[in-house]
Order: sequence, then C-alpha cells, then structure tokens
Amino acid sequence: MKKVLPLILILVCLGAAFWSFDFLPEIGDAGSKPNTHTTDYYIEHATTETNSPNMVTSVIVDYRAFDTMYETTVMFIAGVAALLILSSSPNRKNRIRTHHVRKNREHRGAPVYRTVNKEVVITIVKPLILLYAIYVLFHGEVSLGGGFQAGALMGMTYILDAMVIPEREGFRLSKENSAALGGVGTFIYVLTGILCMVGGGVFLEYKKLPLPVEVLEKHSVGMLLVEIGVAICVMATIITILNAIMERVHFDDDTN
Amino acid sequence: MKNLPAYIVLLPLCSALLSLALSKIHRHLGRDVVFCALTGSLILSVLQLRQVIAEGPIHYVFGGYTIPYGIEFSIDTINAVIVVMVCLLGVLSCMFAFNFDTKGDAVQVGGAYTMHALLVLGMVGMTMTGDVFNLYVFLEITSLTAYCLIAMGGSRGVVSAFRYLLVGTVAATFYLLGVGILYSVTGTLNMADMAKCLAAGNNDSAMLMAMLLLIVSFGIKMAQFPFHGWQPSAYTHANTGARPLIAGAMGKIPAYAMFRYLYCIYGPGFKYFRFILLVIGILSVCGMIYGSVRAMAQRDIRKVLAYSSVAQISYISLGFAIGTPLALAGSFLHMVGHAFMKGGLFFAAGAISWKYGTFDLNDFGRIYKKMPWTAGLLTVGALSMIGIPPTVGFFSKWYLAFGAAESHQYVYIFVLVLSSLLNAIYFFKLIEKVFVQGEKNKRELHPNTSLEVPMSMMIPVVICILVILLLGVFNVKLVDILLISLKGVAL
Repeated sequence: MKKVLPLILILVCLGAAFWSFDFLPEIGDAGSKPNTHTTDYYIEHATTETNSPNMVTSVIVDYRAFDTMYETTVMFIAGVAALLILSSSPNRKNRIRTHHVRKNREHRGAPVYRTVNKEVVITIVKPLILLYAIYVLFHGEVSLGGGFQAGALMGMTYILDAMVIPEREGFRLSKENSAALGGVGTFIYVLTGILCMVGGGVFLEYKKLPLPVEVLEKHSVGMLLVEIGVAICVMATIITILNAIMERVHFDDDTN
Repeated sequence: MKNLPAYIVLLPLCSALLSLALSKIHRHLGRDVVFCALTGSLILSVLQLRQVIAEGPIHYVFGGYTIPYGIEFSIDTINAVIVVMVCLLGVLSCMFAFNFDTKGDAVQVGGAYTMHALLVLGMVGMTMTGDVFNLYVFLEITSLTAYCLIAMGGSRGVVSAFRYLLVGTVAATFYLLGVGILYSVTGTLNMADMAKCLAAGNNDSAMLMAMLLLIVSFGIKMAQFPFHGWQPSAYTHANTGARPLIAGAMGKIPAYAMFRYLYCIYGPGFKYFRFILLVIGILSVCGMIYGSVRAMAQRDIRKVLAYSSVAQISYISLGFAIGTPLALAGSFLHMVGHAFMKGGLFFAAGAISWKYGTFDLNDFGRIYKKMPWTAGLLTVGALSMIGIPPTVGFFSKWYLAFGAAESHQYVYIFVLVLSSLLNAIYFFKLIEKVFVQGEKNKRELHPNTSLEVPMSMMIPVVICILVILLLGVFNVKLVDILLISLKGVAL
C-alpha cells in the first residue's frame, strides 16, 4: 500500500492537470497574450534601443541583464559548492590519491588502440577550439553565441588537456585559483553595472557608461564586457568542478 | 540615494564574489570583507525602511527601461521590514560563525563566507523583487547556497542536503510551471502588471491551477506541514555557524513570496480565493498540531527546534488564511519575531555546543550557572515561543487570534490555543533542564575564556534577547508600519 499510494496520487494529479490544461494558448497563436503584451515591444524596439541585431541577446543581456547576472552567480555557486563539498573535507587522510589509481592502470597494460596519437591530435585541435571560442564570444552580441558557450568551449579545452595528457606540465589552475577566478569573472559583470551607476544612471543602464563613445556604442561595449565576465566565470567554474572531482575525499567525519 | 535598493543587494554580492580571491591574501580577509559588506547592507536597509515610511513605496527599475519590459524592485513597508530582519540576522550569524572556522584552510573559510553572503543576498532579493522570474533566480541562489551550507555540516549533513536538493528541485520546477501558466495567460512577468492583467481577463481555471502549483512549491520551501519532510534533518545537521540563519530566516522568505502571490497578484477578486485560503488554513492547522507533537518526542535540542519550526511556520500561513489586516500584521510580526526566537535559540544551542560539545537536552543540567546569558536567551526564546506577555510571541498570537475572531473563524483560535499549550509542554521541559535538573560533569572544550563565550558569540546572544523583548514592547509601532501597506491588499 505504501508503494501504491504515491503512484495513485501522481496519476490523479497528472490526470487532473492534463484535463484542465486546455487554457494554454495554441503554439504559434498570434493573438495569444504572450505574443501581444510584451513580445511585440521587444521585436519592434530591441534592435534600435540596444544596438544588437540579435533580439535574444538583447533581451538576455540588456532588458533582463539583472537576471543573467544572478544566473552567472548561480554558475559560480555551483563551482564553489562542488569544491567545498567534494574536496575540502577537514580530514586530509581521506583524500583519494590519484597516483595510486594511475599505477593500477599501468599494471593492466597499455590500451590496445594505437591508431591515434592523442598528444599530437590534442595539440592540433586545442588552438582551433580556442579560436572558435573567442569568435563565439566576440560575435555573441551580433549573432548566435555568447559568454556561456564561449566559456564552456574554453573550459573544454582545459579539460581535454588535463585529462587526456595528465603527465604533461602545461597551463594548470589550482583549485584555489580557479574558484577565485570564477568570482572575479562574475565581478566583471557586476562592475559593468556599477560603472553605469558611476556615470549617473541606474544599475546596468548601459547608456550611462562613462566612456567617450556614442550612446548606442555604449550598449555594445556594455554587452561585450558582460559577455567577457560570463565567459571567464563559466570557464573557471568548469575547471573548478574538474579540480573538485580530481581531489575529492571520502566522507567519514561527522563534525557537529 | 536613488540607487539605494541596488546597493543593498550589490554589497553582499560583490563581497561574496571577491571573498575567495581575497582569502588567498590572508585566510580571514575575505571573511572580514563579507562581514563589513553585510553590516553595510544592514545600515542601508534601515535607511530604506525610513525612506519607505516617509515617502511611500520605492520602485527601482534596472537598466532604466519602462515597466513590463525591464526588471523592477518594488519595496513597500512590509518587505522593507523583512529586509532589515534578514540583514540583521545575517550579520549576527556571520559574527557567530567566526568561532567555527578556526581549522579550515583559505578555500574552506573563504568559500563558507561566500555562501553565507550569497544566502543573505538571495533572501533579500526574493523579498524586494517585483518580477516573478527574478524571484525564481533569487530562489535558486537561496536554495543552492542553503544546500551547500547544510552539506558542510559533515557526512550526515551531506545526506540531508541531498534529500533537500531532490525535494527542492521539485519545488523549483513547480514554481516555474506555475509562472509558465500565469505567463501564458497574461504575457508579462512583472508582478504589478500581472495583477492588472489577471484582474482584467477571465482566467479562473488557469489561475487556480497555477496557485495550487505555487502553494506546493512555496510549501516545500518553507517546510509547511505535509511538505516538511526535508526540514528537520537539514536544520539539525547544517553547518553550526550558518544554522541560525538557515533556521531563522530561510523559511520565512517563501512564506512572504506566497503572501505576494495570494494578496498582491491574485487579490480577493479571484473567484476561488476563499477556497485557496481554506486549503492553506487546513494545512496550517494540521501543521501546528503535528509539529508540536513531534517536537515533544525529541531529545536533541536541534530536532526539538526544527520540529517546532514546522509548527511555527504554520502560524504565519494561518495569518494568511485568515486574511484580515490585523491577522496579516500578526503573521508578519510573527515572521520577524520568530526569526529572532528561532535564530536566538540556535545561537544558544550553538554556544552550548561550542563550550561543551553536546546538543542533548539531558546534558543541559543547571547550565545557567556556567552560562547565564545563554541560559537567559534560552529562557526568553522559549517563553516567547509559548507566548508569555512581554515577549513578541504573545503579541503575534494575539493579533492572529484577534483577526480570527474578527472574521468569526473560531476553530483557528481553538487550534492556536491548543498549539500554544503543546509548545508550553516541550519548552518548559527545556527550561526545566536548564534550571532545575541536576548538574552533570561536563568537560569544557574551551576553558580559558574571560566571558562565558567569546565576544563574537556574546553579541548575537544579547542582541537576540533584546530584539525579542523590544519587539514585544514596541509591537504597536511595528504593526502600524506594516498596516500602512496591508490596508490596501487585505480582505
């Protein structure tokens, strides 16, 4: 009974929900409320008000930039939380030692596939991915793309480097540095908003940025700064999570 | 000071973002910056409250756009008061947490205070925002930081945090579903604009569906009775430094958001309004009895207080269910008062565990000899929970009962009295342990202190005693402030 009761409850609730969901507007209905109340304003004014040919970008990082700022903060929290929970346990003896794992791998012998030389391929692919990431970042306010995607690509480059060729000494961020970098990335975003207040406007009012350019250009500069902040935060968060997983510890402490 | 509302959220945000970087310079630099920023927010929030009382509601639109297109903070007297409450509790618990970070390295200390500041930020933002999706973003920040702070309480904390995470994700999804339905019939995300659109259109079935989803979502977040499963273990095993903030303030903010939806967005003109109030009333009544009964059976003080929170949050929603201006004022008085009672009791429990390393009620024998102020806070907090006159707990229950009598809902008064009697049983048990029961030979973990506990623990303890008593004495003043905004929205 204890197992069946939740199932019945779920079925009843779902049934009731689907039975009464006929109030939702049809897909593509031009006369529905969402399409007539605010969307038309965005479509008509976005490009002229924000100087961004891409309406999605103009809504995300201009009209509702305040939301995006906190979404970026959520990314930062995810990284720091993973770090704090997985790899910052007070008891250091519980640390999982990676070189033990690696030694075991050597016992089992080398992998059978020998057709692709991963070190050469990674070295070729890495700069291409980075170039693409930078393209996506700087092209974000004009067409598709933006800080989140660019940051993910940059983070992926680091992961490829750190996981495929762990022995090679290259560019490595420690967990302290990567977490701090994530915070600084989000801070660039916040700083853009604060600069607008310095220029005499309200928070995130790009047209009041204290820069010697035209009003519409200020919108572009503001969006670019914001996107750079987002990209740095996302990249650092991905690296932080990788660090946290690589240095993870067992849980057997119970501090009150 | 036209940017006042923005500064209140920006100070904790900036300090939290830089805390980890600053901690690399010195282990405690990030912590100190977070503390200063939270204090700054507290001062600014008091200024904001004064401004709201003098000049009426503040509307602050980010980006300088017109209303339904940009994001707005709208502050009236109610949420100005709640912001002051959250900031004060944030500062106190940040100060309290200073004593628990002695062992950690830079990442642990800096990270913990990052989470602390962001939790305060999330709650302040949820209170001030006037945009339904912005509320979701702040809800996300509040939940994520809370998961992390609970998980930092050790291995049991990790398990309780995971349970909360699963349930909390369901709550967040339900909230988005509710907002999605409302957006599909109004086309706007701004609260004031949405209220206008809902009043103009004829969408009763959509609104009912959305409201039910929202009640479940906020019910989970505030640990309302049938959705409270995650709460006792989460409060029990959370990180000691952050526990007063989590237990004191975190449940109240979703309750305030529920009030916003019920009275500011839907309003009494909604066809099924009475039905919704009845549902909330029934849930609250069950919760008041259930929480008190469960609390009587516990031996760990953290569990007692956690189950008592299940009962106490129901007082707040009971006020929403009654709906007269006085009852709503009673709910908000209880919201503010209970934050300091529960926060204060957790401060006291934390101080005792710092000194003796125990949370078991049976070890509390005659603790008033060694720790007079902490025992004083336990007593004042317990009396206020029961509802003894000079404390704030009595007056909030008084306003609730008065409101119920005004609208002839006598069942609620009966349950209110019954629940207070049940509270009396387990809180007098606590007082008996503190003053009467024989002393046990307890080993002091920190023997060399000039005061009973260090200064940074002493200040929160004393301030909580003062706030509980002063809120009780000056309750009329606070209720008058709340009624300025409540007059327009209540039944």
